[in-house]
Amino acid sequence: MNATLPEWLNPSPDETRFREMLSPESSWTLERLAAESRAITLRRFGRTMTLYAPLYLSNHCPSGCAYCGFASDRTTPRSRLEQDELHTELAAMKNLGISDVLLLTGERTRNADFDYLRRSVETAASHMQRVSIEAFPMSTEEYRELARAGCTGITIYQETYDREQYARLHRWGPKKDYAERLDTPSRALEGGIKTAGLGVLLGLADPQQDALMLYRHIRHLGRTWWRAGLSISFPRIRPQTGGYQPPFSVSDHQLARMIFAFRIALPDVELVLSTRESPAFRDGMAGLGITRMSIASRTTVGGYTEPENNKNGQFHIHDDRSTEKFCKALKAKQIEPVFKNWEHAYNGPSSPEPAPPAT
Amino acid sequence: MDSLQIGTYTFSSRLILGTGKFSSAQVMLETLRASGTQLVTVALRRFNRERPGDDLFTPLSTMAGITLMPNTSGASTAAEAVQAARIARELSGSPFIKVEIHPNPQHLMPDPIETYEASKILAKEGFLVMPYIPADPVLAKRLEEAGCASVMPLGSAIGSGQGLATAEMLRIIIRESNIPVIVDAGLRSPSEAALAMETGCSAVLVNSAVAVAGNPPAMAEAFAGAVEAGRKAFRAGIMEKSGTAVATSPLTTFLGPAS
Repeated sequence: MNATLPEWLNPSPDETRFREMLSPESSWTLERLAAESRAITLRRFGRTMTLYAPLYLSNHCPSGCAYCGFASDRTTPRSRLEQDELHTELAAMKNLGISDVLLLTGERTRNADFDYLRRSVETAASHMQRVSIEAFPMSTEEYRELARAGCTGITIYQETYDREQYARLHRWGPKKDYAERLDTPSRALEGGIKTAGLGVLLGLADPQQDALMLYRHIRHLGRTWWRAGLSISFPRIRPQTGGYQPPFSVSDHQLARMIFAFRIALPDVELVLSTRESPAFRDGMAGLGITRMSIASRTTVGGYTEPENNKNGQFHIHDDRSTEKFCKALKAKQIEPVFKNWEHAYNGPSSPEPAPPAT
Repeated sequence: MDSLQIGTYTFSSRLILGTGKFSSAQVMLETLRASGTQLVTVALRRFNRERPGDDLFTPLSTMAGITLMPNTSGASTAAEAVQAARIARELSGSPFIKVEIHPNPQHLMPDPIETYEASKILAKEGFLVMPYIPADPVLAKRLEEAGCASVMPLGSAIGSGQGLATAEMLRIIIRESNIPVIVDAGLRSPSEAALAMETGCSAVLVNSAVAVAGNPPAMAEAFAGAVEAGRKAFRAGIMEKSGTAVATSPLTTFLGPAS
């Protein structure tokens, strides 16, 4: 199996310090890591937190990911937003002050295919300053079309870099192809998408090993696509419809150590924490390394026009505080919540269009 | 009076402040007041007409004695920066534009090629173009020829606090320039700002060093004092370092009188 892995996933000399920081036995105590991580974050990002919110376009999915509430064998009711409903959802989000949106779908289906996604990006870009997607892997040409439609970022998690565990968890469907998924951020960046967000679903495999592979992936992308904006998310697996029990538990201490290690090893990369995490953990990590957080999240299709959080989401959110309450907590920590940190004028593809081949 | 002249604008303060990275708009405004600054840069991406609490432009525009210099931070190409500059002028009414183009959002190094292209276009459109650039003496002269109102070479990387890592190049830029040279980015402490002023730059721009200081308004005041001291020292003529002085007794009498 190892023979087909790309060379950049092999150990490299530049990761020695990072590997050491990840280990609970290292000479880096948690306090020492926190102090260094805080200092770097302050210098580079200041006393601010950039905010975004997810918007689920569709929960149709042909894949059988054992850990996901939207897997095709779940009884979750399926739906997708039509463009008029999408306008309504976006308007509701704008009322909350959101100007930076992440559009989500399942894997590619007839119900939510590329054309549907492209139209949705165009619709979202007409309301929001910044539009990113977390959807299915696409071709370079498709990513280029999305970039032209106003999509500036993609989030794509490898979920786990452990190939055997990956094969076990992805029981059927297009997501079974490990190598294709691994190559997806490269195709997006080649297609002119400006930022790639990576992550592993913490709990699926050995978290230290997954963090190390994730670090190699990020370093590879940074060296290959020099214009790329890079971000890392830290999703810990949450209870969801289907009741999957993850084989590894990742404690608050372990997760904090991982976040600090990434901040110190990659001082300029955006680190993201979602509403999967508890209010106490999110408030605590603000200022210590995390620079981007989601707010007021709904994980159901059409969630922003529903009166309250619905339990049929992709996962159960943990921090369900209102925007006002969340911002108040940040301000109490002398951190300014930033709703608009982007400008529509910056929404073109990252690099010039490729020249047509010579004839 | 020793004042900073940019286009038709005259400033008695030579400390320019950035407005990002502050813990709140209120702390930012207090800091600006304490610094005595008259020229302030603000990112177009932080203009927010839809959510007043999130907007940096409105509170700044109502502050007396401040000229705003919008910047294009976030732009990664000349085309994006030009578009952003036009929007910023429309919204703010300011003729100043700080051209800031960093294609890599991690290290935020300015792209010299895209910056040059954007500056050329914007200078022709009548902007007072203030390009943020690597400390490259040739690029600085090319931008002067293109009609820029000043050049803003970096002391070191944004937010790095590494001070005047580019000192040798800055000295060449300052020596050769006919337009104001403003050292932007990397300054950590007032002594570094004083040193930049002693070197002969026309002004300095500071943001992170005050925004993330323990007491931002007090740090801004300290920077203001340092900038003033450095400027006075430059104008007074600083004593040469040992080893660079002229000999006190003649060394060339053997050449005889000049004919």
